[in-house]
Amino acid sequence: MPNPILIVILIFYLAFTAVVAQASLLLPKTIKVDRAALTSEPPCDPKISPAWREAQVIDGVKIEASPGCNPDNPAWIAAAVKGTNNISMDTLMKTGLSPDTIIKTDDLDGDGDPDRIIIKLEVMELNGKSPDFPGILPTFDIAPGVQPGAWVFAPKTSGMSTENFESVRANPLLRLPAPVIRVEQGDIVQIILENTHYFPHSIHLHGVDHPFAHKEHGGNDGVPQTSEIELMPGERRIYEFQARQPGTMFYHCHVQTHTHLSMGLAGMIIVEENRPNNWLQTLNIGGGHVRHPSVAIREKFDQEYDLHYHAMDKELGDIIKKYNDPRLIARDMNQRYDITDSTEDYYTINGLSFPYSLRESLIIVKPDQKIKLRLLNSGGETIAIHTHGHHATITHYDGVEHNPVAQIMRDVFDIAPAQRLDLTLDTTNDGKHSYGEGDWLIHDHREKGITTNGMAEGGSMSSIVYTSYLGEDGLPKTSHFGIDLSNYFTQEFWQRRVPIWQDLDEVASLGSPAGQAINIDITTQNYLLNALYGLAAGLLIYFIFAKREYFKQCAMAAISRVRSDKGSKQS
Amino acid sequence: MIKTIKIACLLTGILTLCVDATAQQSNSVEHEQHKTQNDKHHDHSGHSMSQESGAASDHLHEHNEDHSAVDKTHEHAIDHSQHSDESTEHGDLHHHHHMDHDHIMDHEGTMIMGQNIDKLPSSCKSISEEKEITVRAGRKYAAKFPGTMFAFDQQEWRVKPCSKVTFHFINEDQVRHQFMMHGLPKYLYKYGMFHLEVTGPKTVSGTIIVPGSDDTFLVHCDISHHMEKGMKAQLVVGKGGENIPSIPGLTPYNINDIYEAENLPKVSDKAEQSAVVRQITTALTKSDTQNYLMILIGALVGLLSIPLIKKMMPSKKTEN
Repeated sequence: MPNPILIVILIFYLAFTAVVAQASLLLPKTIKVDRAALTSEPPCDPKISPAWREAQVIDGVKIEASPGCNPDNPAWIAAAVKGTNNISMDTLMKTGLSPDTIIKTDDLDGDGDPDRIIIKLEVMELNGKSPDFPGILPTFDIAPGVQPGAWVFAPKTSGMSTENFESVRANPLLRLPAPVIRVEQGDIVQIILENTHYFPHSIHLHGVDHPFAHKEHGGNDGVPQTSEIELMPGERRIYEFQARQPGTMFYHCHVQTHTHLSMGLAGMIIVEENRPNNWLQTLNIGGGHVRHPSVAIREKFDQEYDLHYHAMDKELGDIIKKYNDPRLIARDMNQRYDITDSTEDYYTINGLSFPYSLRESLIIVKPDQKIKLRLLNSGGETIAIHTHGHHATITHYDGVEHNPVAQIMRDVFDIAPAQRLDLTLDTTNDGKHSYGEGDWLIHDHREKGITTNGMAEGGSMSSIVYTSYLGEDGLPKTSHFGIDLSNYFTQEFWQRRVPIWQDLDEVASLGSPAGQAINIDITTQNYLLNALYGLAAGLLIYFIFAKREYFKQCAMAAISRVRSDKGSKQS
Repeated sequence: MIKTIKIACLLTGILTLCVDATAQQSNSVEHEQHKTQNDKHHDHSGHSMSQESGAASDHLHEHNEDHSAVDKTHEHAIDHSQHSDESTEHGDLHHHHHMDHDHIMDHEGTMIMGQNIDKLPSSCKSISEEKEITVRAGRKYAAKFPGTMFAFDQQEWRVKPCSKVTFHFINEDQVRHQFMMHGLPKYLYKYGMFHLEVTGPKTVSGTIIVPGSDDTFLVHCDISHHMEKGMKAQLVVGKGGENIPSIPGLTPYNINDIYEAENLPKVSDKAEQSAVVRQITTALTKSDTQNYLMILIGALVGLLSIPLIKKMMPSKKTEN
């Protein structure tokens, strides 16, 4: 008596094997990923107004043009230059800063600029777990869809941590890296850390001339093993200094430094030379182009850029995406995470990786310019920054000027962890300083530095681009070479789901081969599988039911055996 | 995936054969009905963060005539007497206050947004009662909720429908905190929000008139991960609506962390006399060892039951 179910199954199986057998005669064909299937983003963030690129004056503050795709909010620059206590309420409202974020007062030396500076920083989490929905917030992408768990020092903000109540995207002030701080030689500076985070933190002013302990505020070096106890959540601490020496320096959290620094609690701090009427851009939020350079810089240079290189370990950042309970995060970070077994996965310049680095961290130049570049490496390994098309001159190491006679030119700059380099980039086309105009890459030449979690081209790659090679939208003009960067602006690229060479020719000769089977999508496969499991389970139950008499007999026999055993033993 | 399908196919095929065989053996052909229970009930209720929007249209023009009233509240709202003389040196105190109809802010970022002292919700004929609620915020209030870091002193406040409620928000930490309420009628409250914000230690007060229908409103601090780490509560109007999830001590979390026992040092470890005993007990408490032990016990049980099975087999033969 043939079972109809058996027949169906057999037919299905035979058909299946037949297809597989036939497919093996010819290699699988190429499947081209349809552009429309990708989650694409526009190359420039549409939320940022192109009007921000223009040279402008806000509240009397002169702001240089910044023709890149996504320049800094000019209101931020005005607030940073005048102080949030001195700008108009209208401008303040455009910044999102708290009215007491940057307080500038007292021209102590009578040279026309304020000398008492108060900067308030908070500690903010990005891409952390929520107990309410299966996602993370507030989100910050270093590349499309790439959201490492991170902590940052953020300028004290006002209002929400996200763009609005409907969005989980972070308020633009909450971002990597920690803001670049600029103060003047001789200023009395207070950095007030308001610990809004759920872990203890501190600030260590690496390289900045600061007293080990302050007579009023106590320990001032930020180190929980030497100068002070950890600053607990909800507490505030004042770090005060009056720097006698200028230079490019570094500030970072010194609590559990091996994790807190990598998590993002690190930023540049620059002491500028004292000049009359020197109103500095106290915060350069997001780093990059300095649109209101100091007097001393304007004396010698045409432009100035802050370039903060950082590296993050995915496994470390994942801890805050895995747990919500601070005790579990503390356990995993402090007792389970082993930095000696770790590898860095994300390489960023000014908090972003390629292609987002093109939005914010292009070095946009013209011929015959002198450009000041300040580089910081806050990653865990030495990096090797290569400037295509240029040899730049190293003028300062760790904020201290190198003997001018002995200064050298290089095209690869090795920067140890925590080290700062000041470079002079000269765009004179003499075959040595510059080879001429172009869209010249600037990147870490350790090859992993141009990857994002191992996916190339990503990482801290950016460009030195001449204005003749800059498009209307503020991105380098590449289309005339037939170059299309749009794949990089998709989430699927960074999920490793786009065969990156599929579009290099018409036939997609290096595209993705089809799987060696019936081409059914995953949901259908799941449906079929579930149906099969269901069938199997049903048959099993039927089998047991049909043979229940036999099972009953077995059980009876076993019981009688045991009984008779006992009986025989007793007798 | 393909392999799994293949294997599943084969397994099912084999099983069918068996069934077929047994079906032929047994005399009675019986039908079995399977019930597939597909009622995997996904509870989405927790996600709805009271997105009620009152009337559909936004009447934004209404508050033009209320300047004087707002100005008055502004005087009251920010209590300058409480200025902490913490070591924050302000030099000169530039009091620049920001004001539009529903946004009041002082020079330290103390903020009142979405205040409503006199506009009745459409569902109310008059104000039912005037109530003052003091809300304290700070890390110390999180102490009674393990696994949180910030909290309000209470997690729920109850008011009558149509009542006029003044909140005195006392921030006892030295950082910013917010008392942010969502889901209010949008024709009275911009974005449906009422929002107090202050850097402590300091107090800020603000007033709202709650709607006339029973409802529950989310109250939280929106500073990154303050809500997630405990600073979350609800305002219940009348009998209230649906509870807000993951309020410490009040409602369960939608998504829970996984906790496992830690091998932490204990005083009793030291007290134990014999070092050997200690070694054995620690070895036994390790999860690996425990796993192996369980496998061993399983194997022993299996071995012991062999004679039983053996005895079953011949009995079958004899019967046949």
